[in-house]
This record gives sequence, structure tokens and C-alpha cells, in this order.
Amino acid sequence: MDIFKPLHDLFFYVSELENSIALRESQYVWSLFEVAHVVCMCFFAGLIVMMDLRLLGVGNMHTPFSQLQKRLFPWQMAAMACSAMTGSVLVFGDPMRFYANIFFWLKMLMMVIAGVNAMAFHYIAYFSVDAWDSARVPPFGAKLAGALGVALWGFVIIAGRLIPYNWFQ
Amino acid sequence: MLEPFFQWMNDLAVSKAIGESIWIYPLVQAIHLLFLALFAGALLIVDLRLMGFGMREQPVARIARDARPWLIVGFLGLVVTGMPQLMQNAMREYFSDFFWLKMYFIPIALIFTFTIRQKVSLADESRFTPLVGKLVGVTSILLWIGGVAIPARLIGLFT
Repeated sequence: MDIFKPLHDLFFYVSELENSIALRESQYVWSLFEVAHVVCMCFFAGLIVMMDLRLLGVGNMHTPFSQLQKRLFPWQMAAMACSAMTGSVLVFGDPMRFYANIFFWLKMLMMVIAGVNAMAFHYIAYFSVDAWDSARVPPFGAKLAGALGVALWGFVIIAGRLIPYNWFQ
Repeated sequence: MLEPFFQWMNDLAVSKAIGESIWIYPLVQAIHLLFLALFAGALLIVDLRLMGFGMREQPVARIARDARPWLIVGFLGLVVTGMPQLMQNAMREYFSDFFWLKMYFIPIALIFTFTIRQKVSLADESRFTPLVGKLVGVTSILLWIGGVAIPARLIGLFT
């Protein structure tokens, strides 16, 4: 028995819904969400990379890390919510296209790993932030989290951009 | 007037080679987005602060000076990865209103960024009222996101 059958059936069920069909056949609404998704990405990935550069010790070095974290966090979360909403609408509008797409699933997987990286950083390296908040060279754990953050979110963006190219159908 | 130039770009051997490879063009598009994220981050971290949000404990000038090299690297990366896309699609771009909208807004946004925005963000904060900062921050976001990034995405969606 195919373990992916329930998932396939769910995607297929959604694809048959009237609203899903209307969305993928719409002239402007689909494009509106594509555009909104990119704008959300600018805010989300942009502010994440600014924080990661600080963790790596190469950018925004005149601001203590905890200030960046505290002040950018609400913007990052709001942008993530917008990205997730606009992205979900796009998947809702054409589920079978995404279901059959390796880059879509790679993107989902990378997002999960990036989330785990952020949580791990928060509970491990960030715990000792008082000791390195303004340090010119952040500790190894912080640098590692920054490097992984840049790499993982970078892969999320690359995989997302490659979704239209279905080389491995 | 520029049609022969675009036709020439379109017919270059290197443009054809990009079009014939299945992976060069998609990868260039993906890297373009990576530089977009870097550029947008370096832009927004300053614009949000100008508007009174973000890292309010720090003076605007300090944040702007730290962000500046990344803004420039991001922009140059966008230009370098934008060129092959333009060459491979030269005639499509020539006939795209969104492409020209983007091309008009890039110089406007650049001039604004390196004159007014630079002056206000690097100046001592007592020289400008907070309202000036807010206006500059909003204008910068509208020019780059509304004038450049959004039309850019629309080129591929409506051709």
C-alpha cells in the first residue's frame, strides 16, 4: 500500500473544489498571490539574512545581537505569516501541480530543517547571549546557526524558484 | 528606437546558449532571488528604522552605515544575474510594459537612495524631524518594492 495515498487523495480532493479551480483559472488573482508571495519573501528572507550576517560576525556589527533579535523578530514573524498564507493559497489553487513537484517538497523539507535550526539556536547559543551580545567575534554556536540559516533559507528560495521547472516529473 | 539593440542582444550566441541550456536560466533566476533577499534586507533594516520601527535603540546612521555594503553587494548581484535573463528574453522584455516600468524606476530609486535617503540616514538625527525620516523610509520602500520588485515579478506573469 502506498503510504502517500492519503496525502495524494487530500491534494486531489482540494484540486476538485470549486474555489481551487476558480483560483487556478483566474486571470489576475493567481498572479496577485504570486506577487504578494515575493513581497513577503523580501521582508522575511531579507530580515532573516540581516540577523544571520550578525550571527556570522560579518554584518550589522555595531548593533548588539539581542537588539536585532528583539526588534526584528516581530517583523520576521509577521512576514512569515504572510508568506505562509500567500503560499498556502497558491498550493490550494493548484494542488496537483505541487504534489507532483520535487522542488516543492524539497522546499517544505528545508523549511522544517530551518525551523529546527532556529529553535536549536534559540535554546542553545542564544541562552548565553549576554556573554557575546556585542562581541566582535560571535561564538561557534552562533556562527553555525547563522551559516545554517543562510544556507537553509537560501535553499528554500532556490527550490521555490525552481518549482515551475518540473525536470523530475 | 532601442529595438535593434534588443534584437542584437536576442541574437547573440551567448543569449542562445543560455536559452538552450535547461538549467542555466532557472539557476540564474534563483540566484537573482537570493540577491533580492540580501538587497531587501539591507534596504528594509534601514527604512524600518527611519520610519521609527526596528532597532530603535541605535541611531539611524549606525544602522545605515552597517547596511550599506550589503545593499551595494545585493544591488550589484541583482544586476549581474539580471543581465543573462534580459539577454535570453530580450525581445519579450522589449515588448513588456512591466519591464520598462522596472527600468524607469531603477534609476529613480537609485538616485533617491544615494542622494536624499543617504543624506537623511547618515545625518545627525537632530538635523531632521522624525517626519522626514518616516517619509524617506516609506518612499524608499515604495520605490524599490512597488516600483521595481513588483513590476519585475509581473514581467513573467503577463507576457
